Amino acid sequence: MDQTTVPAFKKIMVIDDNPTDRYIAKRMAEKYHFAEEIILQESALEALNYIRSLENTPDLLPQFIFLDINMPGMNGYEFLEEYANLSESIRTNCIVLMITTSIHPDDFKRAEHNPSVFRFLNKPLDREKFRLLEYEFSLKE
Amino acid sequence: MKQEIDDLEQSMHIQDFLFVIKRKSDHLINYFLISFFIVGLLLSFFYDTWEIGIGVGSLLLTAYYSTKYALPKSNLYQYVLSVVLGIFMAQFIYQMHGMFEMHFMAFIASAILITYQNWKLQIPLMLVVGIHHGLFGYFQYLDFNKIYFSQLDYMSLQTFIIHMILAGAIFSICGLWAYQFKKYSEAHIDLIFNKRETENQELKRANYELDRFVYSTSHDLRAPLNSMLGLIEIAKEDTNEELMLNYFKMLKGSAKKLDGFICDILDYSRNSRMEVNYEEINFSELLKGVTENLKFIGDNNRMVEFKIEISGETSGYSDKSRLTTILSNLISNAIRYQNSQIPDPFVSIKIETSQTETKIVIQDNGIGIDKEVHAKIFDMFYRVSQESVGSGLGLYIVKEAVSKLNGDIKVQSEVGSGTTFSIKIPNK
Repeated sequence: MDQTTVPAFKKIMVIDDNPTDRYIAKRMAEKYHFAEEIILQESALEALNYIRSLENTPDLLPQFIFLDINMPGMNGYEFLEEYANLSESIRTNCIVLMITTSIHPDDFKRAEHNPSVFRFLNKPLDREKFRLLEYEFSLKE
Repeated sequence: MKQEIDDLEQSMHIQDFLFVIKRKSDHLINYFLISFFIVGLLLSFFYDTWEIGIGVGSLLLTAYYSTKYALPKSNLYQYVLSVVLGIFMAQFIYQMHGMFEMHFMAFIASAILITYQNWKLQIPLMLVVGIHHGLFGYFQYLDFNKIYFSQLDYMSLQTFIIHMILAGAIFSICGLWAYQFKKYSEAHIDLIFNKRETENQELKRANYELDRFVYSTSHDLRAPLNSMLGLIEIAKEDTNEELMLNYFKMLKGSAKKLDGFICDILDYSRNSRMEVNYEEINFSELLKGVTENLKFIGDNNRMVEFKIEISGETSGYSDKSRLTTILSNLISNAIRYQNSQIPDPFVSIKIETSQTETKIVIQDNGIGIDKEVHAKIFDMFYRVSQESVGSGLGLYIVKEAVSKLNGDIKVQSEVGSGTTFSIKIPNK
């Protein structure tokens, strides 16, 4: 029965330095048929380059970007700063979600005012959260 | 702005200090004045000057005390005191028919006035002495009868001038001491205040850093723990083996318990760190959120019935996050420690708001708590029994949060019949 269900989205990207969390996100997204293709990125900088390379082919951009906050090198906030400077075609095609372990009040305040962030999600990703996103996405469309 | 507040606070400290000095001095002055009055009575024996001893003496006491009680906030009574002491001197000189030693009373008065640490108090005394000496000396010089200023026939101008200069010198010196004492006190208080202020700042910073450390550490501990929980979920789906499923269930239980510990520590540190944030509270919405989150706790899958009753003429004003902490801790305890012998477990939550306060009563028919340990249950890390599943922080956090909201909490409980927590929180 699982095989017959059509995934809700074509492509998503998970940016997280923790391999376990990347694996969980991928497995969960596959299991609950959230996306056809799941791109995993362990570095925010590489993720940024990847998105930039798709600037002229917006159809290939990930529809959702799951972004971790605490990462070595470029962290989630620094990624968002760069992201805000990307071209309009990228920003209108992607939805950025911040994924954290628990909502730190300071983080929450900081991201609440960031126009690029669609919402916050607590780790680990699970069925409920994917259903919620599908629902909110349908409202947005 | 901050500087202004500090200055204000500092001058408040100086005022406090001066107020204490004033109160003590006032107290001593009572004894001095009574002694002066009694001395007046004693002196009346010598030349039978009872009218003066009683009349002038009581008039002076009346003048002093009526000013003091009519204008308690003003310092005017101290100036009246200065005049009164001057006139006592004049009275004693008269009563002793000009006995020279009675002039010393002016110096005693001058010394007494130092206690208020105000050099200006010497001025009225100086004036009284000047006027008295000038007037009475002159009248005696004119041979008026019964002036009794000096036991000499009259005081020569040269003697009079030297007399006044020396008196003036004494008043000036006493005034100078008063001024010096005040300056010194102020400088000393400034010093103490600044030192204490620095120490306070340092303590506050150390405390903040410690809280911040606890917070960040707890926060960071949750990240790998949640990865583990995620993995357990995935692993569970990938096996049908009974034994494995059992292991995963146990693993998940332990990980959840650890997570519960960390969340408790986070709650505790958040409560001590965050400012109280007052806002309008919609209790039915708040409770909906709390009970929603607590639906799935407890090992036995028995549903605990929630009986919610919200009443009151006004909506509550309080801190939402602390109220959530309080309610979810108490309600989750009620669910965790339900009585398996009883067929219909419930937790009843009654909230009543009035203009002045919010009353919250949370009652269950759970296993209850032995009366002997009621005093200890709010202690940090106290756990009622070996079967207690929590960290021992829950009720401690509840008590801390309630006290942050200036409220109070009481417990009533009996083993086997249930527990009731009653909370009162002022409605700000």
